[in-house]
Amino acid sequence: MSAAAPVTDEIRPAAETAQLRAPSSRGPWARRARTTSIVAGVAAYLVTFLIILPLLWIVLLSFQPSSKILGDPFSFTSLTIQNYLNALTSLPLVQMYANTFLIAIISVTVGAAVSFMAAFALTRMIFRRKAGQSSLRFYLLAGLAVPVYILLFPVYRLDLTLGIFGTYAALIVPYIAVSIPFNTLLLTGFLRDFPGEIEEAAIIDGVGLWRLCWSVVLPLMRPVIATILIFNVVYVFNEFPFASILINDPNMVTVSLAVSRFQGQYTVDYGGMMASATLVLLPQLVIYALFQRHVIAGMTVGAVKG
Amino acid sequence: MIWVSSRWKILLMVAPAVVLFTMFVVYPVLYSVWFSFTKFQGFGTPEFIGFGNYAALGQDPFFWQALQNTVVILVVSLVLLIPLSFALALLLRRKIPGGGALRALVFGPAIIAPILAGLIWVFILDPKIGLINRLLAGIGVAPVQWIGGDTLTPYAISLVFIWSSIGFAMTIFYAGLQLLPGDVMEASALDGATGWQQLRFVTIPMMRETFAIVTVLLITNIFKIFELVYMLTGGGPVHRSETLVSYMYFVTFTNQQYGSGMAIAVIVTVLGAIVSAGYLALARRGRTA
Repeated sequence: MSAAAPVTDEIRPAAETAQLRAPSSRGPWARRARTTSIVAGVAAYLVTFLIILPLLWIVLLSFQPSSKILGDPFSFTSLTIQNYLNALTSLPLVQMYANTFLIAIISVTVGAAVSFMAAFALTRMIFRRKAGQSSLRFYLLAGLAVPVYILLFPVYRLDLTLGIFGTYAALIVPYIAVSIPFNTLLLTGFLRDFPGEIEEAAIIDGVGLWRLCWSVVLPLMRPVIATILIFNVVYVFNEFPFASILINDPNMVTVSLAVSRFQGQYTVDYGGMMASATLVLLPQLVIYALFQRHVIAGMTVGAVKG
Repeated sequence: MIWVSSRWKILLMVAPAVVLFTMFVVYPVLYSVWFSFTKFQGFGTPEFIGFGNYAALGQDPFFWQALQNTVVILVVSLVLLIPLSFALALLLRRKIPGGGALRALVFGPAIIAPILAGLIWVFILDPKIGLINRLLAGIGVAPVQWIGGDTLTPYAISLVFIWSSIGFAMTIFYAGLQLLPGDVMEASALDGATGWQQLRFVTIPMMRETFAIVTVLLITNIFKIFELVYMLTGGGPVHRSETLVSYMYFVTFTNQQYGSGMAIAVIVTVLGAIVSAGYLALARRGRTA
């Protein structure tokens, strides 16, 4: 597809062209194709390098004394790990991660569970009125069009009214709620394309609703469940607007919230700031490297599945 | 299935999701819409003033500046990002040693929290300590105010947005390219189409749906740009670099003009809903095609 042919090819009979394009290890065609390949390879590596350059830059800065960052940041002779030692003592890294993990695990698990229950009812159970079933599904899916920004202030007031402001629940409950529309979209989509015979057989065997969901349907849905778990964990980990409004206890800050305060905390200690940023970035990149395929699939599935 | 479908069992299954969704999504939206028609300073009872907040926004130069910045970011990002990410998908589809690793690296920025991406780019764009001006100084170019100046910030924000989204868009294009039927490609090659002709007359027309989906997804993401502004400039100087959502955040939570803030939130939501409706329509059409 890429081996560019000369213009004269257009008027040649198709069969002849095909012959000309037949693979051969010698001759100008092969050489040309090889050159294109090399150029493409070099270009691909160059573009990738440009994209990861900002990350390499902050890693380099994180090993520089702050005085060098203002003076000669490209110097390789002054590198030090002092910034990391400072960051490790001043940054409540463990607590940040513990808070974020706690919030993520509860909100993502509960969000997936309630969405699964609703999706099962909306696709498998038999409603008295069919119209009620489809309008309920549409009601939940309508949430896809709601940006979180319109929810910030009302949810803050709601948390205050319910008396959960100041607890982890202040953030967990809205995270569960905003995950429902997308989860419902994926789960109902999966269940609709999936035959119900196994479930019918299980019911005839005398299985109740609980065991039907837990031991029969859920195991079959493992791939789509994995997708929504990953999608939601990435969302909760990176979320900032809700966290900035709903968390005001310094002991409860999430990773994003902590990073948002680096500039105020470190002011001109740029080395310290970059070491902290690297310490935050590193675990995320390691997790990404391990589950790369699933993460990419999880984050783009909305685009492909619609 | 009728055996397990008693009324109370159905209720048990749908109630948790419906109650949570209604309380923390539907009710807040209605609450915001109501508040956008009131004057409220955080205490006392909100006073109904009709479209007063919307009218006031029409007179607010900062609001128009925020809208203009959002449009600039939208146009610059789309015009650059769509061709670039598509070209990158074509490039990475070729057999390149280590191609899988390259695709994973290119996608990488998409998983970095926007707030952290903002912090990282401060050290690239900052007029004094940023990498770009360092490199420019090396070849004798005077420092440029990429962020924090009067004009360039929205363009700089577009650049950061492009950086964080290019792998995401590329991945969707890449998936679309994999789905192209091989026989059509082969037939066009046999008919003597050059690489460029094949791209122009076969590949791109067949991927029209994918282009539409990428475009709409990017538009909805651009409307949500907030953390980048928050970290790069804080909206300054004097609100010159706000986007609609960052200005909404400022008006609501810093200025505590809740009615006015909610009016901006409603405007953003309506703009976003129009785009999302288009997206759902396209996605549905794509599935039946």
